Amino acid sequence: MIDPGKVLATFCINGEEQACAFVSHRTLLEVLREDLQLTGTKHGCELGECGACTVQINGVPVLSCLMLAVDAIGQQIRTVEGLADGPALHPLQDAFADLGAAQCGYCTPGLLMTAEALIARDPCPSREAIKQGLAGNLCRCTGYLKIFEAVELAAARMRGENPVPKRETIYGS
Amino acid sequence: MKPFTYILPRSLPEAATAAARKGAQLKAAGIDLIDRMKERIETPSEVVNLLSLKGELSYIKSERDSGLRIGALTTLNDLELDAALGAAQFGALREAAGRTATPLVRNRATIVGNLLQVTRCWYLRSAAFGCLHGKKGPACLAMTGENRYHSVMGYFDCVRVHPSNLAPALLALDAEFTSQLGDRQSRRKLSELFPKEARAMLAEHTLLPGEIVTAIHVPAQPANARSAYRESREKLSFDWATTACAARIVVEGGKIRTATLVLGAVAPVPMPMPEAAKLLIGEAPSDELFQKVANAAYQSAVPLSQNVYKVQVGKAVVRETLHAITR
Repeated sequence: MIDPGKVLATFCINGEEQACAFVSHRTLLEVLREDLQLTGTKHGCELGECGACTVQINGVPVLSCLMLAVDAIGQQIRTVEGLADGPALHPLQDAFADLGAAQCGYCTPGLLMTAEALIARDPCPSREAIKQGLAGNLCRCTGYLKIFEAVELAAARMRGENPVPKRETIYGS
Repeated sequence: MKPFTYILPRSLPEAATAAARKGAQLKAAGIDLIDRMKERIETPSEVVNLLSLKGELSYIKSERDSGLRIGALTTLNDLELDAALGAAQFGALREAAGRTATPLVRNRATIVGNLLQVTRCWYLRSAAFGCLHGKKGPACLAMTGENRYHSVMGYFDCVRVHPSNLAPALLALDAEFTSQLGDRQSRRKLSELFPKEARAMLAEHTLLPGEIVTAIHVPAQPANARSAYRESREKLSFDWATTACAARIVVEGGKIRTATLVLGAVAPVPMPMPEAAKLLIGEAPSDELFQKVANAAYQSAVPLSQNVYKVQVGKAVVRETLHAITR
């Protein structure tokens, strides 16, 4: 039983144990951003619709705005801050930057976390699989095309290939 | 969200006892509940977290008779991807699970959470309005207000719509459920989970306080059965259906031998349509026949001021479902 009020718990975030005192009815999103200062994860619709708050729990992308922080105790939490390896960006981050797949950038952390789990499950995802896999992450700037291309490029680079991105346009290929 | 005491039960009877207390609220993934708690439509003093029983209640098992037993906390993603649901007979359930919300929601949302989610009626889900079903007002505000997503049949004093897309699929497959109340278990038809008369003052399900659904049973289907689920919606992703249809059919020798047909998203409860399904029996599949069935399914429709479209669209969805099974 957890009483109302503050709880002290240890979270495993990006491979590090972090002790944190937080109010027990807070969502994981609120604790990450406001108690742990991990502000890479974004606060969007609060309804589960936009995917801006996506983090990985045990490798599975989930919506941190609809998950109580107490439910994440003892689980492996991974946020966008854990994607880069020191100064070396993750291939997805590189590909997003190379192809201009981020404009305002607000949806980007969520998209990166969803896409990372997608590639981990399917190292060679088809365009359709990428579209389906990212269907829970809204982007209001890019029109998605550059995002799909960036995920394809990152997946290819992670397979050791060095391809030229596909040039599909909104008018058809 | 208002503060609450968080209960982490160690066993089902313990969860059932905790959930029976006044002001207690059961939570699975909490996709719907956390949303309502943030809106302060729901302000429980105790939240009983069923996720602490996930090891016990998350599974898909094939039964000896080739039916399925599905734990209450099985996620929609597990349902969509499980090989046991790959058979054509279970197509309706697999398709309904795979179309729900978004992949991010499906990674956590559970089968029973989907069945027991509260209606999306915007009057009920807004703290700013007092409606009859929310027990805060004298009348159904949608009846004469903004009602384009509301019921076209089966309503009395409240025109809310049942939001679950798994419900029509499971009903078309004759599913049953097991529930735990105190230390007693009982197994009933899934249709008994929903009220016979969808009155505003009644809950959206028939469970007693503290009663916990622990498993869903999909019985062995008739030989050569095929099933499908189709829905209409406004957005490709993260949307609830505007109309839905699930059906299960056995075709032998070019003729339809048995059929079930269930409509969703058009009434306060999922709507089995046995009379319309009967029209299929003994006939050869054809678009003309399916049109007749679709018309019969919507014969009792009395649309509201803004949702006449549901009748037309709903009939097309019935036809599409039947074609999907028999093509």
